[in-house]
Amino acid sequence: MEASDLYSLREHFTSQRILLCFNGPISRSLIEEIGIALKNYLHAEQAKPSAATDVFATYIEMSQNIRHYSTSHGYGDLEGQATVVIGRDESEHYTVSAGNVVETADGEALIGRIDALALLDKAQLKAAYKEQLRKPREPGTGGGAGLGLLDISRRSSAPLVARLTRLADERAFFSLHATI
Amino acid sequence: MTMTTEDLNIPGSQSTPRILTDWRAGTLLMQGDSYPENTFELFGPVIAWVETYLEKGEAPLTLDLSLIYLNTSSIKAVMDIFDILEAAHGRGRNVAVNWYYDSRNERVAELAEEFKEDCTFPFSILPQKD
Repeated sequence: MEASDLYSLREHFTSQRILLCFNGPISRSLIEEIGIALKNYLHAEQAKPSAATDVFATYIEMSQNIRHYSTSHGYGDLEGQATVVIGRDESEHYTVSAGNVVETADGEALIGRIDALALLDKAQLKAAYKEQLRKPREPGTGGGAGLGLLDISRRSSAPLVARLTRLADERAFFSLHATI
Repeated sequence: MTMTTEDLNIPGSQSTPRILTDWRAGTLLMQGDSYPENTFELFGPVIAWVETYLEKGEAPLTLDLSLIYLNTSSIKAVMDIFDILEAAHGRGRNVAVNWYYDSRNERVAELAEEFKEDCTFPFSILPQKD
């Protein structure tokens, strides 16, 4: 990167109202460290405690989903990179976005699932969440067993937006955007 | 004489709650945030302790919880613990949960309420004392 580009990058962050962003290989400890920074930031901004919890929870679920996906697929540092952006939109809602490289088929299945979630109202989301909570875990996984997307949907004020950008070798960049 | 098992005393961290059991008093305390990547390591011993306690004795069990934020993986693990309590309650065992919340953050009481919906044993949701 050219030295002079840093200013334009900063200007871009400012104009896009980005509070915090990360791009690179993500580890368990890095998720925690960014989480601490995010909590402090939200506290300093005097965000309502409920909104701060929702933003933090959305960030945790998204980044842990990415970690679970990359580790379960044996991805290396390069493919296992995550892009995480936390900002605000024009109506002062916090937004949380995260993206990562996935197998195209998995990405398509995720898009289908998110499109289906977008049709559910809060009561239906709660029912789906409780149903998912009662399903047995996949053996050997300590994860949330598919609860993450439902949890994020319930904390969001608008349906989740997902996009898939096709890359080479049957892979794609999957991005998920939540408005709290 | 009732057989006891080793009590748990796990200090809390940024992403894991403090966990303390007292076999003699019949209490399990958990306080703080819980969002580790893998909850199995953390909650495995807790589930084992609760199961052993309920199997080996007849004394009541009270859970005192001041849990704040739980990731979905932790929610699933806590639900597993409540399911064990529910089964024990069904056999006539005296079990109870007290969940303390900070009234400034309504998400905590909402989380506790959702757990309570699925439990028939005594489940109190109480404002934090301090």
